[in-house]
This record gives sequence, C-alpha cells and structure tokens, in this order.
Amino acid sequence: MARIGVFICHCGENISATVDCEKVAKVASEFPGVTVSVDYKYMCSDPGQNMVKEAILEHNLTGVVVSACSPRMHEPTFRNACAEAGLNPFLCEMANIREHCSWVHEKSDATTDKAIDIVRTLVEKVKRNEALAPIYVPITKTAVVIGGGVAGIQASLDIADAGHKVVLVEREPSIGGHMSQLSETFPTLDCSQCILTPRMVDVARHPNITLYTYAEIESVDGSIGNFNVKIRLKSKSLDEKLCTGCGACIQKCPVKKIPSEFEQGLGKRTAIYVPFPQAVPNKPVIDRVNCTYYIKGKCKVCEIVCPTKAIRFDQEDSFVEVQAGALLLATGFDVLKTNFFPEYGYGKYEDVIDGLAFERLASASGPTKGEIRRPSDGEIPKKIVFIACAGSRDPAKGIEYCSKICCMYTAKHAMLYKHKVHEGTPYIFYMDIRATGKMYEEFVRRAIEEDEVKYIRGRVSQVYEKNGKLIVRGVDTLLMGQAVEIEADMVVLATAGIASPGSEELAQKLHVSYDKHKFFSEAHPKLKPVETNTAGIYLAGACQSTKDIPETVAAASGAAAKIAGLFSNDLLKRDPLIAVVKKCAPPLYSSCTGCFMCIPVCPYQAIDKEEIKDRSGNIIKTISHINPGLCQGCGTCVAFCKSKSIDILGYNHDQVCAEVEALLNEW
Amino acid sequence: METNNTNSFEPKVVAFVCNWCTYAGADLTGTSRIKYATNVKIIRFPCTGRIDFMLLMKAFANGADGIIISGCHPNDCHYTSGNFHARRRWMIFRNLLDFIGVDVNRIVFSWVSAAEGAKWAEVVNESVDQFRQLGPATSYQKLIKNSEFQEVE
Amino acid sequence: MNNLQQKAQQLLESGNYGLIVGYEKGTSGKARPVFIRKAEHASKLIFDESCDQNIAVYLYRQEIKHNKKKVIVANHHTLKSIVELAAENQVFDGDFMVLAFAENGDIIELNTFEEIEKHVATLYHGLTEAEAAMMKKIEDMSLEDRWAFWENEFSKCIKCYACRASCPMCYCPTCTVEINQPQWISVPSHTLGNLEWHVMRAMHLAGRCVTCGQCGKACPLELPIQLLTYKVALDSKQFFDSVAGTSICADNALAIFKPEDHENFIR
Repeated sequence: MARIGVFICHCGENISATVDCEKVAKVASEFPGVTVSVDYKYMCSDPGQNMVKEAILEHNLTGVVVSACSPRMHEPTFRNACAEAGLNPFLCEMANIREHCSWVHEKSDATTDKAIDIVRTLVEKVKRNEALAPIYVPITKTAVVIGGGVAGIQASLDIADAGHKVVLVEREPSIGGHMSQLSETFPTLDCSQCILTPRMVDVARHPNITLYTYAEIESVDGSIGNFNVKIRLKSKSLDEKLCTGCGACIQKCPVKKIPSEFEQGLGKRTAIYVPFPQAVPNKPVIDRVNCTYYIKGKCKVCEIVCPTKAIRFDQEDSFVEVQAGALLLATGFDVLKTNFFPEYGYGKYEDVIDGLAFERLASASGPTKGEIRRPSDGEIPKKIVFIACAGSRDPAKGIEYCSKICCMYTAKHAMLYKHKVHEGTPYIFYMDIRATGKMYEEFVRRAIEEDEVKYIRGRVSQVYEKNGKLIVRGVDTLLMGQAVEIEADMVVLATAGIASPGSEELAQKLHVSYDKHKFFSEAHPKLKPVETNTAGIYLAGACQSTKDIPETVAAASGAAAKIAGLFSNDLLKRDPLIAVVKKCAPPLYSSCTGCFMCIPVCPYQAIDKEEIKDRSGNIIKTISHINPGLCQGCGTCVAFCKSKSIDILGYNHDQVCAEVEALLNEW
Repeated sequence: METNNTNSFEPKVVAFVCNWCTYAGADLTGTSRIKYATNVKIIRFPCTGRIDFMLLMKAFANGADGIIISGCHPNDCHYTSGNFHARRRWMIFRNLLDFIGVDVNRIVFSWVSAAEGAKWAEVVNESVDQFRQLGPATSYQKLIKNSEFQEVE
Repeated sequence: MNNLQQKAQQLLESGNYGLIVGYEKGTSGKARPVFIRKAEHASKLIFDESCDQNIAVYLYRQEIKHNKKKVIVANHHTLKSIVELAAENQVFDGDFMVLAFAENGDIIELNTFEEIEKHVATLYHGLTEAEAAMMKKIEDMSLEDRWAFWENEFSKCIKCYACRASCPMCYCPTCTVEINQPQWISVPSHTLGNLEWHVMRAMHLAGRCVTCGQCGKACPLELPIQLLTYKVALDSKQFFDSVAGTSICADNALAIFKPEDHENFIR
C-alpha cells in the first residue's frame, strides 16, 4: 500500500498569491494513498526540507511529491533530501505548480483547481515509481586517437600527460598531417615544422603513447568505457625493430620518379620512402604499387643494401586489438581536387596550383628549397594571382560553407611571395576578407599596406594560357563590376577544405553522425563541440569543419580534457532513466518478437541483439537488448515497439497512463 | 467538460511535452509571467519520440476535449532525432483518425523551444480558443457514456 | 492430376520435403488452407481464383515453425507477406520453399529470399479498383458521416480477434490488447474499446500492411476493417515512399525518418 507524502510550497507568495495552497494541501490529503499532506512557506529552505525528511521517517513514506517550482529547479534538492532520509531519490517527484500554474494564471478557483489536478497527477505517477540506482560502467583508461595531425598529436600528448594510455593511429607512414606540409604559419610567420616536429618527437618518445603509423581502423565495437578497437597495420614490407632508419635503401632505390604526396606532386620520391626528412617514425615503407619487385618480380636492391636485413617482401597486413575507454576522431581535412575547376585550368596548366602546393614551394625544405619557382619551367613568377574562395561559398559547386582558413593563408602566401620575390606583384581575387582571429586583421592589413598585395574584390571567371602567360579574367566589383584581365605567370587557388577521404566509412564504423559534407557532427553546436552523439567518442580539429591551427589545438586540448575527465573515475556513473527490454518467465522469456525493427529507431545505436539460451547453450530465442552504457533515455523505441516489450524507467507505460487518467479524472 | 460561472464551455486539455524544449519553454513562460488559459495541464516526457499514440487514445477515452503535443524544433532534439520519429508517427496517426471521423483539429502539434516562452502561451491560448469553438468532444463522450453503461451492466 | 498436384507428389516422394501448405476445395465455392504430409494426398491441392487467402500466417505457427522441409503454395498476397516477414526477422532464409505461379500458370520454384524478392518485384502492389473505390467512398464522406459510418461498424465488433489471427504481421506473442498493466484498451467489446482496438491494430501495421485484406475477409461480421490498414499503407507510400512486402532488408517506415519529411500541421 502506497504511503505518499505531499508537500505544498507557497514559495513565499510566488505560488500562494494565486493558488490557495492550504486548499490544495487539504484536498491532496484525501487522495487515495496520501498519508500526509502539508503546506509550508518555503519548502526548499532547511526547515522545509527537514519537514520532508521527518515525514519520511515518521510515516515511513513510500513516495514524495513536492509541489513547488519546476523540477528543472529543485528536483535534485528534494531528491537529495529524500535520500538523506533513507528514501530512494527516484521515489520523489516534483509537481510544477509555480512556472506551470501560479505564475501563468490569475488568482482564481480555476488556478487552484489546476494545481490540485497537477498534484493528483504526480501522486498517481509517484505511486508507480520504482527505486532506481545509478548505473555504473567500468572504464578502460586507454584512449584511441584516430589521426596523427596536429589535433591528434596535441590530444595524445595531453591525455598521456594526464597519466592515461593513448594509442595513436595514423593512416600515412608518418604523423604530422597537413601542418607538417606548411611553410610558415599565420599570423606570426613562424615556421610550421619548427613548432610541430618537436611535438611529433614527443609523441614517439612518450611512455604512455603507442604509435601505429600506416594503420587504419578496421572495426569498432563496444561502448563508452569499453570499446574494442581492431586496427589494421598495413604492411610496410619492413621489420621495424631491425630498421635503424639509416636511409641506405632510399638512396639506392632505382625507382626515383614517383610524384611525392607530401610535396603535393611538386617533388619526387622513391618506391621505398619516408614522406619527409623529419618523419616520425623515420623508417621507410615500400610503396607496393610502384616498387619494381612487386611489379616485375625482381629488383630487391633495398634488401641487398640494408645493413640490418630489415626488408620483408612477404610481410602481410596484421591486426592488433585495443581495449579503450574513449575514442577521439582527429582525421583532419583535405582540399578539393583538380577536377573541380575546369574554368581555372587547374590540372590542365602546370602553373595553376593549389594552396598546399604553394606551401611546399615556400617551404625551406620543399622541392625548390623555399624559392618561389613555377612548376612548368622553374622560372620565378613576376606576377602571381591568388584566387580565394575557390570552391568555398559556392552553392552551385555544392559547397555553401566558408572554408574559414583560406582568407588568412592567401594573405600569408602573398606576403611570403613578396618577401621572397621583391620585384614581383601579387594579386588576390576575393569575395570578402574574413580575418576574425587574434592579430588576424592586423596581419591582413600588413599584407595590403606593407607588402603591397593587390586585393581585387571580385570573382575570376576564367584562366587560360596565351603566349606563355596565364590570363586571369575577372571582375572588380569595387570598380562597378569592371572587367579585369591579368597576365600572370602563376595562379594559386585557395581550394575549399573538404572532409578527409574515408570519413563517411569511418563514421559508419564508429556510428557517429556526419553532415552532408561528410564532416563529423558534434553533439551540440554550442555546448558540446568536442563530443559526438555517441557517448565516449570525441572530436577534434578539421574533421568536424575546417579549422585553423589555434582552433584545432584548442579543440584537441578540449577533447583531451573531456577524455581525461572521463578517465578520472574508475566507474562511469549514468542516470538510470533508460529503456529496457522487459523479460518474463519461461517459456516466453520476453514478449519481444525479435523483429529488430527498433534497431534503426535508436539515435545512439544502443539496441543490439541478445540470445536467450538454455542450460546446454542452445539458443531459445533472439531478442532486442538495450546497452545501458549507450542508452540516453529518449524513449523513442518505447513508443515504437508494437508488443510493448520495451519500457523506460522513470517514464514507464504504467506511470504515463496513470498520469493521463489522473489528469483528466477528478478524484 | 468543465463549465464556469458564465456557463461557456471550457475544454479539458492535456499537453504532452518533451522535457528539454517545450517543458523548459513553458517554464520560461512562467518566469516571464505571461498569462494563459488554465485549461491546459502538462505531462512531461523525455522526448516527443516517447509519446505513444495510445496515450492520445487514452486521453480522448478519459474525456479530453483537446490535446497539445509539443517538442523541440526539427534539428534541435536533445536526442537528435526523437522529434523526427514522432513527426512520422503523427503524420500517419493524424490521417488515420481523420479517416475514422475524429476531428483532428482537436489535436494541436507544435514545436516550442526552451527559448519560446511567449510562443508556448500563444500555442496554449490559440489551441484553447480552437477547442472552445469545436465544443465538447460529444461524439467521443457518447462512446464513453455507452462504455460505462455496459461495464456496470 | 494437374501440374501442381504432380509437383507436390514428387516433392513429398523425394523425401526432401515433408509438408506442403496450400489450398484445397472448401465449402460454398471457397478454398481453404490444407497441410499435406503424404504424397497420396497431393491430389487435394488446388490453385485457382478462389485461393485468395493469405496463408503466410502459418509459416511461423509453432506446429510447423521448426519443420525445415516445408513447402508453401503462395498467391501474391502470401508472397508479399513472406517478404515482409523476412524483413521483420520472423521467417528465415532456407526454412521453406515457395511454389508460386507465373501468369501462364506455370509453377515457379522459389528457394531463397532473394528469389522471392525478385519475383515479388514483378507483381502489382496496390489496391484493386474495387478496393480503391471503397476507400474513395469513405474519404469523400463528410467528417460526421465518416464518424457515423465507423461508429456503426465498430459497434458491431465482438472482439473475436479473427482479424489479428488471420494477419501474417500480427505475430506478437503478447498483444498490447492483452496487457492489463496498464490497461491500454478496455476489455469489453463496446464501441469505444472496439475503436481503440482497430485504431491500434491499424497503427501497428503502418509500413507493414501488404494490403491483402485478409483481416476483412476473416471478420465474421464482415466489417470493412481492412480499409483502416489500407489507409496507413497508402499514407506510408505517399509520405515515405514505403511499400511493405517489397524488400527483405528495408527498415520500417516509422523506424526511420528524413529531416525533410513534409507535413503541414505542426505549428
């Protein structure tokens, strides 16, 4: 038999000014199951809370309804008070007679009657409440960081420094990402590699970090606290333990004309190679597509010259499995490819290049040793045109968004060019200049005022070749749309940043959501920028949307702090208001039909299949199962399930039905 | 059905709302002291996705003259997609009720965010006006009456 | 003996199959389901215009569920239901063989779900002209007339649940109508409880009804309750382009969503 206590708060006069609280308490005292019903000036005050506690002890209450403000305000207060008096906190409910009643209605009988109805409804609900305990999930204190660019590097170091294990997985033969390709960085013009490579070395040396390069995520299962990550280690054709990184193999490799990915095709590499001199790890891999041995079956020069006999031509891909408590996505971005801009002659003319290629030209360690020489004939361009928003903010091309970083790096490119080619003239065609970071606007002003970069506000319609020059045709909208034609020696496109290839497949493997441009989606655009909708999986950097280095590093440290926070407890405490598949006695075991139509309903992929077995291990039936570590308690599956086999704690069928009936039927 | 002193019809209205948007929005209506009709009483759900169509049937069977369903705007769902699932459900359910001759104007669907305290008051007041004009849900009440008779017999 | 009977006889004699679910001649010109286990009974089998019953409902019945040597003679309703049951994980690939019929009357053996799905793709999906006319008749009524029409029909229902028993998609071991905590639907067969039952049944068939009309055919009071499930089937098609019984792997129309789903009633 229920023994419910009802506690009506006047909230000073906030409630009692329009609701007859004494009457509510009197009427409520006659509701079936109500043992005690009192009203008080300030229920949330210490004496008020003590009234609740004493009543629980005195009347051995089985449930409490505090009729006061919104549960969003004081539900935790009163639930704690109940817990202190030995009543399970989930047996306490708030009847909202302030925000939903006294404050929105004039003083009248109808207002008091409504308050009574609200109290009756919650009394009927609380009679059906169950004592619940928080769910605890054990946490494996290892993080898997996917992507070894600056985001992955920063996050790995932060998590590792916090004392937790990190497994860093990088798809390329070296960590470093796009940042390692950059020449100098805006707005300070410090050398990108000078600031990044020490961190890369730190990663390799850190005792808490295990680094897998040339590796990809094969599969992920499990949930927050306990993921099982299978990693494919692509064959490097090399025994890394024996290799000393001496580089003899690279020097002797006869295949020397492969366009280097790291140099954006402007430089060449060998078939056995490290992507760049400061690579971490600084050990080569064999590119099997271009290696003579794999093509023709003979060569093996590298094997002959290797002093430690580290080459393994028959090595196959291998797998490692890692148990992890959290995953961090830091897979970065890519830029649009040549096929996107036929009108700019990108891909057709050698001297139309993208921003990343210009970075390599400007880099002291690049193919031209930092001299700005155009790819076609190695001449120093006298006139150079930069085209901003190449692809970005262009709905016709399918990219509506602003890539955010191009305004700044284009200004930087023009500046670097001017610093190296004093007599040259840089032009920038732009739509708007978006320089909204610390010292960014000043940087752009410097480009315009000190380095005399010629900014032209307008779009370029066409780039074509004529008498060895690249003719750039556009308009200057600040000169009333006047046509402009520049005879340039070289054109650099600030191509739009796009999601890294393979993002969609990875998102599907991890069950994280992504937007239509294949960038991963954050859990909340304002308040959860580094979380995904899948608990335990976090985001950092340009895999979410294009970001510059400071933002990327900030996001990485933010995500690392979230993960370190998660790992600061041995057990993860979760709200028990989650959905469960109901079970019953044999021979039915559960009314679940095993139709599994509920699986796509769940926004958190919390529903999987459970086999019910007899003692000898034979499967009796297969039913749905809700992972308590993943369920967030929305209850969509509960309303969807036709056999009513799923219910949700705290809002169960019995409770909500009783609420509807109580609300509409005066006692 | 309730009647007040002037004897005009006052509909009984139950509102099914989600915890994160409309419930919080209705809290804001309160803190902003915006007034609305007393007819509407709220039942809190975690998400519109949780609202079973059977609960609407229950509400009608218990004498509701009108129902308000409200949750987060599309793309704002706390659980990302509960409201999208709910929307599909209501698209089918509403047409089915219409097909059997239930006046679907007795159910008001709305998206009210946690910031739309004023909109919640508007939705309530407009809905109550609409239900007043529709009058008591007599067709359903006849069934309720008959069912009570039969059960006693 | 006709082709079907010969085929059935061969299958049973071969020993590879032990049960054939099909149709036999019933009373007053109707066909009824038959379960044949012996080759000498194969001559009972018929397949003609009168065999319009959807017999997919028997496939998962406890008595024959685990018999992996069964054959089902399927009309187009049955075929569509088999596809939908496959999508809902209630029947399993390889558990039975299907004998379907080409337009010229030739027997088609369908052994896998893939073959069944392919064959079903060649069939007409949708209401017959007569059925569409019935729908239109009701939709053209005024709201009050529609209510009066259904109130009258529902008042006659005796809650025998023949509609549920005949529907291949009503396979829940515990139906919501049998749950008493909470009591979702009133137990007595008064009009209110009957209305609740039929609305619930129709909603539960959203995106799942193959419009075979078996519920209406099974109703001893001849209530046109199949129109309710037709309504949800037509709306699922119109709103979500979802047609039940066409794909062995499609998600249910109400289990998924599109952000651009379009309605005109939410404020």
